[in-house]
Order: sequence, then C-alpha cells, then structure tokens
Amino acid sequence: MNNLSRLFTSLTLSAQEQHMIQLLELNEKTKRFGLTLAPDDIKELLAAKNQILRHYGRLELGIEATKEIIEVFSESPYITQEHYVSTLHELHEIFYHLKNETEDKIGDAKLIGMMKDCFDQECEGSLELLKDKLEEYAAAFRVEAMRDEMGDDDE
Amino acid sequence: MNVGKMGKTDKSASDRGALVSRHGLHPSSLKRNQYTLSLMREGQRAGLLDQQDISRIQYEFLLLLQEQIIRYTQGESSSVATETAEQLLASAMYAVDACLWSMEDPEKAIASLKTTEIARLHAMGVEQVRQCLEETKRLYHEVKKHKLDVPVDAYNMTIEESLPIFLQKYNILFDGHNTMASIDYPLGIDDMSLQGVFYFRQYLERLHMEDRFCRQWEREDLLRLLEHFGRVCKFDYRLELFNIFELVLHHALFSVLSGGDPRRILISPVQYEQLERMFTHADAAAVGHLIDRGVDRLLDQLPAQDSDTTDYMKRCCRNLVRRIVNAAEHRNLQTVILVDKEDDIRPVTISLKTGDSMSNVQLRRLLDDISRSESKEDKVRLIRSHFFSLHDYLDLLESDCLYGEDYEELYASFGDTELAILCKIMFYEELRGGAADLYTIIQGREGAERDWQNHLIGFMKRLDASRIRAIDEWIGSITYEEISFY
Repeated sequence: MNNLSRLFTSLTLSAQEQHMIQLLELNEKTKRFGLTLAPDDIKELLAAKNQILRHYGRLELGIEATKEIIEVFSESPYITQEHYVSTLHELHEIFYHLKNETEDKIGDAKLIGMMKDCFDQECEGSLELLKDKLEEYAAAFRVEAMRDEMGDDDE
Repeated sequence: MNVGKMGKTDKSASDRGALVSRHGLHPSSLKRNQYTLSLMREGQRAGLLDQQDISRIQYEFLLLLQEQIIRYTQGESSSVATETAEQLLASAMYAVDACLWSMEDPEKAIASLKTTEIARLHAMGVEQVRQCLEETKRLYHEVKKHKLDVPVDAYNMTIEESLPIFLQKYNILFDGHNTMASIDYPLGIDDMSLQGVFYFRQYLERLHMEDRFCRQWEREDLLRLLEHFGRVCKFDYRLELFNIFELVLHHALFSVLSGGDPRRILISPVQYEQLERMFTHADAAAVGHLIDRGVDRLLDQLPAQDSDTTDYMKRCCRNLVRRIVNAAEHRNLQTVILVDKEDDIRPVTISLKTGDSMSNVQLRRLLDDISRSESKEDKVRLIRSHFFSLHDYLDLLESDCLYGEDYEELYASFGDTELAILCKIMFYEELRGGAADLYTIIQGREGAERDWQNHLIGFMKRLDASRIRAIDEWIGSITYEEISFY
C-alpha cells in the first residue's frame, strides 16, 4: 500500500492547485453567511484532511466531500468565522469516521445532510455532542445492517 | 471450443520474442501478471519511455481510478477504504494488462502506452476480459456436458459447484483480477501465474482436453484403475486430490511400453514384470529415453491428438521419469505402476451392510430404548438385532448413549470385519499411504476426540497381536468404495 500511497500523494500534489482554486471560489457562496477561507486556511484544511484520510485508511482523489461539507455547514447558525477552520477540521474528522463506521453504505450527501441536521437541531452547534450522537447512530446502523444480512441469509 | 488457443494464452512473457528485442527490450523481464508495470519499467530502462511518459501514464491511471471509484460508489461517495481503492486499481490494471498482452509484441504494447490514453486501453481491455468471460462460460458448459462419470469428489465439486459460483460472481469492472474460488481439483499441469478469468479459461481448456483424452477408455476400466490407485495408496480415492488424466496417461503409456494395447490402462501382472525388468536396471537417462519412445508410440497408436494435447501429454510425462527412478531404487514400482489383480478387488461380505439405514424416527426411538436398557448386555443385544447399516452404527456411536463398559461389550461382539471397518474409518490418515501397520498405529495412538474412538483404541490395544494382524488383513482387502455410509 505504501507505493500506492506515495503515487497518490505525488499525483494529488499536482491537483492541489486546482483544489485551491475551487475552494476559493466557494467563498463567493459562503461569504453571505460571513464565512470565508484564506489560501493558508485551505492549505491547512487540505493537509488536515489528507491526514484524517490516512488515519482512517481511506482514499479520496477529489475534494467533492470537502466542498459539500463547506456548502452545507456554512448555512448553520452555529458556525462563526472565528472557529470556521477548526470546525471544518472537526467535521471532516467526524465525516470520515462515520463513513468507516457505516461501512460506506451511506452516500456522502446523505451523511453530510444528516450531520448538519443533527448539529443544528439536537446538538445546537456542539461538536462533542454531534460526535456522541453519530456514534450512537453508527452503532444502531450496524446492528440493523447485521439483521438485514442475517435476514438475507435465512432466505 | 477453442482449445487450440491454449498455446497463445499459455505463452509466458519470456517466450514473446528473442532474448533481446531490436530496441533493447529484455522480454524475460516482462511479467504476465502486472504486465503494464513491467512494460513501463522495461520501456524506461530501454529508453522507449521517458520520465514524462511515465508521469503521464501514472496520472492517467489516477484519473482512471477516480472514475472507477465514482462507478463503484455509483457517484454517491468520493472516498473509499484504501483496500477498496487497491482492489479497484488492481482490477483496472488487469484490464489494461489484458489489452497490452493481446498485442503480443511488447514493443507494440509500449508504443501504445506512449500514444494511447490509459482510459482507452482500459476500455479495450475490459472488452477483452468480457469476451474471455463469455468464452470461459461456453467452455464451462462443454466441460460440464462431457464430464467424466467418476466418483471423485474434488473433480465433481469443482465442476458442479465451484466453477459456476466463480462464473456467476465474477466482476469484470471492479474485481477482474480476482482468482478467488475453491478449485480443488488439480490439473496435470497448472499455470498459477495467470489471474482472474484468464486463469479460469486456461483451467477449463486444460480440463476439457484432459477429459476428452480420458473418455477414450471404457468407464469400467477407468473406475477399476481408480480403485487400484486407492488400494495401493491405502486411501479413499474419492476423497483425495489427484489428477485423473495423469493416472490414465501414465498407464496407457505403461501398457504400450509393455507391448500391450494403448486402449488398455489396466496393467496385468505379466506386463508389470516386464516393466519392472525394464526400469529396474535403467538409469534416469535410459528411463527418460524409454518414456519418450513410449509417448511417441502412444501418439502413433491413439487416434490423432491435436498439437496442444500432444504437447500437454509430453509435459505430463516429464515428472514420471523421476518417479520411476525413485520407485525402482526403493523397490516399490508397484506404487507407480498399478497392477490389475483379479483378487485385489474381491467383494467382501460386510456385516455392517451398506444399505438398510433406518429412518430418523426409528433411530431416535431405538436410541431411547438403548439408553433406558439397564445392562450392557441388553444394550448390545438391542443394537445387534436392530443395527445393520454403517451409517446407523456411526450415528449410534456419535449419539453418546453408550457409556464406559457398553463400548467394550459392543466391540467385543464385533467380528474382525466390523472392527476393520471402524479402524479403517478412524485411522484414515495414519493408514493413508500405507507406511504403517495397524499394530504400530494403535500402539502409537494415545487419545481421540470422541468417546467411542477412545474406547476403540483401548479395546484394540488389549487384543493380541495375531488378532490385530487378521484385522489388518481385512483392512487391506476392504476398499473404501465398499464402505458406504448410506
């Protein structure tokens, strides 16, 4: 896997410029909520995201999930410019953790939408609470998936 | 059926051209698996690809992987687990390998890598893998239709169960390189360097060829040869992993070498003596020469075999030389040349009959009665008057309704034949190959998993040596085919 990782890292380096441009363009959409990312913020965010992906044993070649997280969560009343970058780090951490825990059975858009609803409603903007709630959700999801599989086997 | 294609698919990378091509390529450095990667390495070394080409190819593979992830997740997820990414990339490379391999000339393949987009090579490769899958399915139906009627489990299970599962589950796009399937039946010559459906096509081509060859002999002769094989090796041939074609080929060859008809694979004692004289005083070179001559005569006398079969037959006889030389040295040629003796497979009247199993209800009722019986003598009387099939006896022994001395009483009521059958089942592994006699096996065994087995060991250890010898003789004369569980 190391060779594959190195290949991806070297190749994604060339795509990073493009990612930077795409995320800067997103500022146009998010600034109406008072949220923007500076080039250094983006570099930091992408580096953190790569680390999170490595930590969770995942691979992502684009930034589609990052764009979706930014677009969806920028509408949240609980996110301010002051904690914007650190909140995005946390949200990425939660998102990829949840992708693993739900065994890739839930699409990105649906998962991010669920995270946003939970964050705004039950958790009232608390990232700690969001982690706990989604942990519970993942556990229930796995039990349900196991039941489904056993049901299929019985058939 | 395109068995004739075998030569093409079978060719190793190093067979593709001279030792060094006109542009300095070393075909021997190319690998059939990971063909693209080895072409990139070799192309760069020979100066046919520069660093810019390599970077572009790598980048295009990355784009291809990105596409594959989108297809795999049906556009729902932009990330996947790294194991999944590895699998998708390996599958994509398998298809590109298929495309480049089909070009036959490595230099042409390198030129394509240089000038054609990886996505295009991938699409062409996927189409080739798809065609190979279709061809493999057609081949499978042929193999199934003409399969040999032999009670060899690995052979039957591979054709009836494992291959259809593979063909049904094989995923060209996302798991093309995967060769995961429980293919237990060994071919005469297997080439494990192939992967995915290309491996299975070759497996089926060879199996088809082997079966077609074996169908030239009478089924009765074939079954008799298999029975001799099981008897000499002291195992149940139905459960063992061995190649039928090789056994048939070698015995057809022995028949020809001893002046017999190639249509006979059963070697008579007279033929055996002749072969023994021939091989005992010959060195490896002389045995090799004899085998080569025998194969040529066999080919002359059997109806025309195609060139692939001829080549395959010759390759399958290469190992035989070493086996004959070794066996002759150790004076046990009879393990290589199976002699057809009339009295070897004599029918045995077994008191544990092979049929007559009772129904589950009857059996349960009897087991209850046995459990309720007060004395061991009553229990054994009940057993002996109601149990006739081996299947029922094994159910009884496994049911734990006998205790301590009950076993002793039951075994004491058995004759040599019945004890031989139980020993033959219980000491299968130890008896297999025929290296040890029953007395040594029993003395060496300390314990077993089940109660009835522990008591059987104890009982047998208390028998005198002459009784054990008599039981051992029965073990030698009962073939596993006679021990039917139903």
